Amino acid sequence: IMNAFGLIQIGLILSSTTITSSLQCNHLPLQQRQVIKNSLRLLDKMGKKFPQQCLREKMSFRFPTQVLQPRQKESVGVAIEEIFQHIFYIFSKNLTLAAWDRTALDQFQNGLCLQIEQLEACVIKKHTQHHQSKEVSRLKLKKYFRKIDCFLKDKQHDLCSWEISRAEMRRCLQLIDKVTRKL
Amino acid sequence: VKDLLCATNLRVLALNMNFQLFWSQQEQQEVTYNVQYLFGFLKNLNEDYWDKWLGVPRCENITNTCCNFSSIITSTGFYYLRVQARQGNNSCFSREIKVDPLKTNGIGPPGVRLDLSDTLLHIRISPPGGAEDEIMRDHYDLSYRILYWKNSSNKEEEVKQKEVKQTIATIPDVSPSSLYCVKVQAFSEPYNKSSAYSQQECIHTPAGSSLPLIIFGIFMGALLAVLLVGTPLVFVLYQAYNKIKYVFFPSCQPPLNIEGFGAQLFSSPYLSAAEEPLENCCVIESMVTEEGNQIDFPDYQHYKQSSRDSGNYSNDDNASGSKGSKETLEREMV
Repeated sequence: IMNAFGLIQIGLILSSTTITSSLQCNHLPLQQRQVIKNSLRLLDKMGKKFPQQCLREKMSFRFPTQVLQPRQKESVGVAIEEIFQHIFYIFSKNLTLAAWDRTALDQFQNGLCLQIEQLEACVIKKHTQHHQSKEVSRLKLKKYFRKIDCFLKDKQHDLCSWEISRAEMRRCLQLIDKVTRKL
Repeated sequence: VKDLLCATNLRVLALNMNFQLFWSQQEQQEVTYNVQYLFGFLKNLNEDYWDKWLGVPRCENITNTCCNFSSIITSTGFYYLRVQARQGNNSCFSREIKVDPLKTNGIGPPGVRLDLSDTLLHIRISPPGGAEDEIMRDHYDLSYRILYWKNSSNKEEEVKQKEVKQTIATIPDVSPSSLYCVKVQAFSEPYNKSSAYSQQECIHTPAGSSLPLIIFGIFMGALLAVLLVGTPLVFVLYQAYNKIKYVFFPSCQPPLNIEGFGAQLFSSPYLSAAEEPLENCCVIESMVTEEGNQIDFPDYQHYKQSSRDSGNYSNDDNASGSKGSKETLEREMV
């Protein structure tokens, strides 16, 4: 029985190492920089300059910058992954009134999705260790993006609400870009 | 029947961001193909995407079994591809193939050019995908592995390796009169991908630094010239100088206490001086004999000798002695 147990242990260790080694994750930091660079470019490309008439409707959403403070490299990585997911979700529906370039928008979404998928595969989620700080950042981000979502819903996803949201996302990605360069 | 129509064995070959899709044809007759692509994220949304498939340009209604779909690919993003086979009214969609551009793409070999300067071998690398195309460089963070060795016929030289990130590398201290060969491979550490090695480029290093040799040769030649021409010339000049010095400026002066010499500053005792007044010395013989014969000597004129004798020294013989000498003189005359 002891032999069998020992063999099972060895088997588990081997399988876990093969899984982690088969996942090529070294390219993620490099790819992330490229995804952010491309996303910023596509955000600019998909629409025109910010319309003057929408200036009065401008709202301050107050992005929680503390989630990107590099206290722990891993927590920042997790925060970035969540931000990507939120942005991806926001830009996924009700875009007809925005009248943006469809191809640019699709490519924007595609890039975010690729990065999210690969981050999910590579970042080892530690379910046992539930850091209080991680939970707090997750909630802060959730609150921030819900504010934007509600804003869009209230304005019925009209052009101005979309343009304001687009500008906000741009600011958000620029912050992430700054943090990613430092990592 | 319908299954035989479908395209099978879909595979993607990509080199330097040039993407080609290949498939196999099952039925041989009159099948046209349409290649379609789908943005990868559409599958992750909880929405129908059957109407979101788009056609790949220049791969619609084709009869060959390959398609270049580079035009629809952006480096950040992923795609699904499928092939629709059509024959008359029948149509069949192949299985979908997922394409992650940067992972699927292969890195091509770089270009190599060699240059020499002094004892340095310069290797100029042109990145795969061309110098203008920055996609490869930006996305892959390329580095280059250089293999170089000395190609000598008699023995096998060890192959040396050097890894660089820039597109120019220098090998110091190359030996003269040798054939050096180089080949380069591009690789991406983050993506764990490497290209094939480039073509082998070889270059001959020049025969040993000739400039010092030339300088040495000139120096030796000049030295020889100086020795061959200069030495006899110096010798001749020296001899001339000596002669002149000997004649005009004699080194040994006669002692000053000898009368007359001190006053003559510029006249050399070795040059012919002016003719001194000669004294005509005649030996006047007046023989007074007992018989009273007086012997005349008419040939006394012959005796005019340019005698240098200043006649200071006179023969102070007495009469008796002089007689005897006179007699001998007579005899000599005869």
